[in-house]
Amino acid sequence: MLAEGVYIVGAGMTAFSAKLHANKTGRELLVEATWEAVKSVDKGITLHKDVEALFIGYFTPEYYEHQSHIGPLAATWLGLTPKPAFRTEIACASSSAALFAGVTAVASGLYDVVLVAGVEKMTSLETERVTEALALASDDLSESKVGATFPGLYALLAQAYFRRYGATWEQLQRVPIKNHYNGSLNPKAHFQQTIGQMAEKVGKKLGVQYKDELDFLKNSPFNRVVAYPLRLFDCCPISDGAAVAVLASGRAARRFTDTPLRLLGVGLGTDNVALQDRADLTSLVATRNAAEAAYRTADISPKDLDVVEVHDCFTIAEWLAVEDLGLVGRGEAPRAYEEGLTGIEGEIPVNTDGGLKAKGHPVGATGIGMLNEVWHQLRGTAGRRQVKNKAETGLVHNVGGSGASAAVFIFGR
Amino acid sequence: MSEGHLSLFYKELEAGRLTGSKCKACGEVFVPPRPLCSRCGGETETVSLKGEGAIESFTVIHVPPVFLKDASPYILALVRLEEGALVMGRLLGYDPSKPEEVKMGLKVRFEALKEKHGEKEETIVAFKPLEA
Repeated sequence: MLAEGVYIVGAGMTAFSAKLHANKTGRELLVEATWEAVKSVDKGITLHKDVEALFIGYFTPEYYEHQSHIGPLAATWLGLTPKPAFRTEIACASSSAALFAGVTAVASGLYDVVLVAGVEKMTSLETERVTEALALASDDLSESKVGATFPGLYALLAQAYFRRYGATWEQLQRVPIKNHYNGSLNPKAHFQQTIGQMAEKVGKKLGVQYKDELDFLKNSPFNRVVAYPLRLFDCCPISDGAAVAVLASGRAARRFTDTPLRLLGVGLGTDNVALQDRADLTSLVATRNAAEAAYRTADISPKDLDVVEVHDCFTIAEWLAVEDLGLVGRGEAPRAYEEGLTGIEGEIPVNTDGGLKAKGHPVGATGIGMLNEVWHQLRGTAGRRQVKNKAETGLVHNVGGSGASAAVFIFGR
Repeated sequence: MSEGHLSLFYKELEAGRLTGSKCKACGEVFVPPRPLCSRCGGETETVSLKGEGAIESFTVIHVPPVFLKDASPYILALVRLEEGALVMGRLLGYDPSKPEEVKMGLKVRFEALKEKHGEKEETIVAFKPLEA
């Protein structure tokens, strides 16, 4: 239970991109996202005066920017010194840990207004070195040393899933096709082209005509195998970006807006880091536990959700997520995706912003990037990707690594 | 100073033996050995493992970490040992360009694999088909 109400009164993010931010550092991306969050506060906010603490997720700044001690550094660049500021880290869910820290700080009554943030500046390194940085989230001895990569770990989960439910890679391709379509409607997405548009472009270059999107994904030399059976389009890209939200207590929220989002539920989950230490390869137990806690605190069921953001770092992760969050039953994801259940116009829209796959995945920024999407969907400002029926309740699901960490947050209007 | 669980694991691995830990409370077996059970937190004892089991999942790595640039593509498998533990290892004896020939449930046997990771020689867990 949350002792005190926690409200979101502002949110902002940079575009997620591999190109746009080439000449910016992580701290500058953070300022850019914060500035947008400040401007999103209906009745205005003065950072230095109003914000009492800062929590910031950044997975491996040591690798990308030769920098630790990110909390105070961020405070300096946001003019927040001498307010308390520290960094949180649970791999790809690092900014969800920041959000959790902010939520508990406000719910405890300690602070009335806090800033929560996430950032990752990844493109400063070559792809090979980025792969190394990401591998730090797996078990170094039992996994990295044996030759596992992140695509490899999710490929092992995909193979186990395929085997158990008789599903196929072809069926899984509904995930990137949907997410790229959604990304094409999001001006901040890393990829803003549908797979059909890409197929046409690549086809023209190669003098080939692809029958449809699946034909392109199956037969284009562009979609090479990364870790069998997963290919390039089964993997999210390497992106730069930052995302921010402003949290306020019940007594402070109305000073900033008459239409805040209310945090309804929260849950965290943990599992063994190494896949070989897990009880189940066809499900993420950390997600199941986080979801159960979040539904319990919110006192709602999956049926009550209008829009859902899930962690699709690899295509198979989206299938596991929709099952582990209880949106569909175990083993039902392939059919649900064939029926279009999770499209923007579907019964349970999932990853309306393009997901990690098309929106991009600046690791430390992803969780609060998802919160930004729910912020827009619930306030009706999601533009061309706005879900049809008025969204009252939204869920954010963020995973660290191959599933050892998971965070679930539920928001309402 | 007493031996660390992991230093013992790697010493044994270099000698071609696979070790794990068995929980004195719940009986769960984990590899590598560790002082407390990862399932129930109970105390464990270090056990030698026969190293035979069946493939539960596998993948072929085409984009490897930098230190394995020259080794790829290679096959990684998760193997369920007869003693109950799940173990990740390199799968030998198959052509990585023909993943369709690797079958789930295939019976395999542990083998220690020595390979160069950059300048360093490392010993890692590997598996070979049982009938080979």
